[in-house]
Amino acid sequence: MTTIDGAVIADDAAANDDDERISYRGVFQRTLVRPEIGATIAAVSIWIFFWAVSTPFGKASGASSILDVASSPLGIMAVAVAMLMIGGEFDLSAGAATGALGIVVILLVRDVAGEVSGGSLSLWIALPVSLLVALFLGWFNATMVDKTSLPSFVVTLASFFILKGAKLGYAKLITGQIQVGKLDDLAIHAEQNDVSDKGYGFLAKVFSGEWIRNEHVWGSRDAVYLIGVMLGLSLVVLAVYEMQYTRREKPAPAGIGVLGAGIVVAIVGAAVLHRTDSVSGNVIGAVVIGVGMLIGLFGWSTWRYQTIDRTARLTMPASAIAPFGLGLVAVVLGALFALLLDPDNSDTIAVLYQVTEQGLRAILFISLAGAGAVLMLIAVSRARKESNTAGGLLLLMTSGVVAAVAFFIRSESGTHKFRTEALSAMLAIAMLMAIWALLSMRFESRSAIDRSADRLGKILLIGGAAGVVVGLGARLLYITPEELETATRTVFSVRILWFIAFTAVCTWVLGRTRFGSWTFAVGGNKQAARQVGVPASRTKMQLFMLVSFAAWLVGILLAFRLNTIQASTGDGEEFEYIIAAVVGGTALTGGYGSTLGAAIGAFIMAMAVQGIPSARWNSDWRFVFLGAILLLAVIANNFIKEKAEAAR
Amino acid sequence: MSTPLLELRDVGKYYGNIIALTGVTTNVAAGKVTCVLGDNGAGKSTLIKILAGVHQHDDGELLLEGEPVSFESPREALDKGIAAVYQDLAMVPLMSVWRNFFLGSEPTKNLGPLRWIDKPLAKRTAKDEMARMGIDIRDTEQPVGTLSGGERQSVAIARAVYFGAKVLILDEPTSALGVKQSGVVLRYIVEAAKRGLGVIFITHNPAHAYPVGDRFLILNRGRSMGNFAKDEISQTELTQLMAGGAELEELQHELEAAIASKND
Repeated sequence: MTTIDGAVIADDAAANDDDERISYRGVFQRTLVRPEIGATIAAVSIWIFFWAVSTPFGKASGASSILDVASSPLGIMAVAVAMLMIGGEFDLSAGAATGALGIVVILLVRDVAGEVSGGSLSLWIALPVSLLVALFLGWFNATMVDKTSLPSFVVTLASFFILKGAKLGYAKLITGQIQVGKLDDLAIHAEQNDVSDKGYGFLAKVFSGEWIRNEHVWGSRDAVYLIGVMLGLSLVVLAVYEMQYTRREKPAPAGIGVLGAGIVVAIVGAAVLHRTDSVSGNVIGAVVIGVGMLIGLFGWSTWRYQTIDRTARLTMPASAIAPFGLGLVAVVLGALFALLLDPDNSDTIAVLYQVTEQGLRAILFISLAGAGAVLMLIAVSRARKESNTAGGLLLLMTSGVVAAVAFFIRSESGTHKFRTEALSAMLAIAMLMAIWALLSMRFESRSAIDRSADRLGKILLIGGAAGVVVGLGARLLYITPEELETATRTVFSVRILWFIAFTAVCTWVLGRTRFGSWTFAVGGNKQAARQVGVPASRTKMQLFMLVSFAAWLVGILLAFRLNTIQASTGDGEEFEYIIAAVVGGTALTGGYGSTLGAAIGAFIMAMAVQGIPSARWNSDWRFVFLGAILLLAVIANNFIKEKAEAAR
Repeated sequence: MSTPLLELRDVGKYYGNIIALTGVTTNVAAGKVTCVLGDNGAGKSTLIKILAGVHQHDDGELLLEGEPVSFESPREALDKGIAAVYQDLAMVPLMSVWRNFFLGSEPTKNLGPLRWIDKPLAKRTAKDEMARMGIDIRDTEQPVGTLSGGERQSVAIARAVYFGAKVLILDEPTSALGVKQSGVVLRYIVEAAKRGLGVIFITHNPAHAYPVGDRFLILNRGRSMGNFAKDEISQTELTQLMAGGAELEELQHELEAAIASKND
């Protein structure tokens, strides 16, 4: 310990890292601070919404088309644009640049007459050359912004028009048309004249390779899917528990026995499920698995976590009763509407433009039941502040309501989708809620930092996520032998991998490197960043170049995908990139945001693009939807940000 | 007495035909606090800018450890161990404490060409360094924007100390703070001096300066009104000198007259 007066107390605090003055933030509160959380919640709800109203959602074919729209150009560009926006700048020329760079690649491999001949440039040279062009665009934008001190909005608007005009001008000048093509002439020329295809064959695999699902049969796919998802989700549950509850000082080994018993019961339940085909058999199997899980989790918790020793008196705060009651009323009202309105009547109702009675019934039921559930959860969180028992009790009742609604949907719905998938998903949720409620009444929630528990939780979480990804991946990428005849043709593009890789690299760079730190700094307070020695101009230049690099990558992906690029390709898309970034939690004012959020934002927009026509609505409504999402996202993000900062 | 860290001899500065500063003489020794006092427009900002390398002096001599110097840029001053903490603090409010602490000089690890921030080291160091200053920051992940004014000041001071400052220039660190917060910052100033730094504390509040200062330089309208060691001057004298002595006396008479007429 140092002997400096006044530092003694501080030294103590530093030594054991915990500080009694910091109010501990639980696992849920910590999660809410992340900028991408709003987007994640929105993505899940929108997915559920479109799953309910259209057919392809929830199928491999739907997933492939959503991922394709989300990945390129939208996703890759949104991630890059998000980084630039965090750095406090905009690039309105980003959309036009994607098309322009695709055109540059194609023009480079064609000779002066616009023909592919033996003398035309190899792709191996054309790609680096076009990269130089791209980096020049980024450099130009950055330099203009830096030297003129004008807002980047204005400067890049100018370069947008320059690019737009240049694309049209050059295309007409060289090919005489408003489009430039075709890239695959390289392959045709090579075949006809028996010469090298100048890298086309190989690069086409890299940039527009495909995974055709129907050609990949895997007998044990469903087993891998089920085990992966179930194991993954259980690990996630354990991770949340680990981060939520207080650890015992000495583990209670008796719990391990109970845990083992629970696992055995669950396996028996799975066996029952596997053996029988009857409805009652299925129900029995599911119930046995549920009981097994409850016993297992109870054993795990007894083994590891502190039990609540005082017998808490049950005090139900008045502030919780009102929303809970209101929630119950909303659910019942929703159910009443579902019973009263005719599910088979698809005539439109005169007063409500274009809405059928059938549709009205669904809308009323879903929105009322959803609102009811949210109200009940609000009640639970309020009650928890007063006493664990009260909160647990309300949560238990909520889980009962969810289960009841699940069975109500099963009995009232005509479609197979709702009768089976929705039922099992909702029952699983109800079961998890019930288990959570029971455990939270018995075990002590954590109120102090426990780094080793958090570390274990993190490992469990990553393991769980990996399990879910492997399971879902198997389900998406392979078919079983039984599906050979029935499965619709589904193709996954390699562009999805480019998107994932680009997002991963950018996320790492933003969070872990000096450049990432400097990006936040120049966007948050450029003057301050400069004062402490951050090369602000250079950082901004690199950000502009990152965006033009992304535009180059997207340009190549477009060229290989479309073969022929229109002079107008990409024009006007820059606002979609910005929307995706903002929906993902990036602040328009700079200094705050996330690349992962931007990727999720792109996913949300892709769902809108794919979901609206597949729900058989006119796709002109897409922009109404996007506008509404944007507004909601900004409001929600603002709200979450304020809440999060107040919570500290 | 050993050579002072930084010494000014008749330093002056002109902006065109305007005399911004003239005849300023003082020094700051290691482990001592030199207070620069003056009302608005007294030339305090010009003095800081000369010391921090933003401007160069036109008259007199600036000696760093006995050697005459003239800093060409803030970077050069910083490299020679003179760190200025400005009123706006050079912080990014939305960024976490540890990122702000190391901003521009992040410790890195590398694997071949890949370089990344050594986050655990950075967080630990930020916390430890501030603890050594007697500043107990709760969570280094919390954004600087959520800290109080005094805490923010403390991060800036601790940062300057950690990055090898020998002379710390604090520009009005207490001016925007409440009484209690000011007290906290004054303690950090003493703490920094105890760690062997020379501190130049610029303020217009004699009540803040007197308890912590070892030497006082009083400026008025660009001129030095005196350069005193602590035992040569009392707080009252300091206050009077700072406001231009005679003027304050006049003001006091006027006030007394006003109060007397009110009581009549």
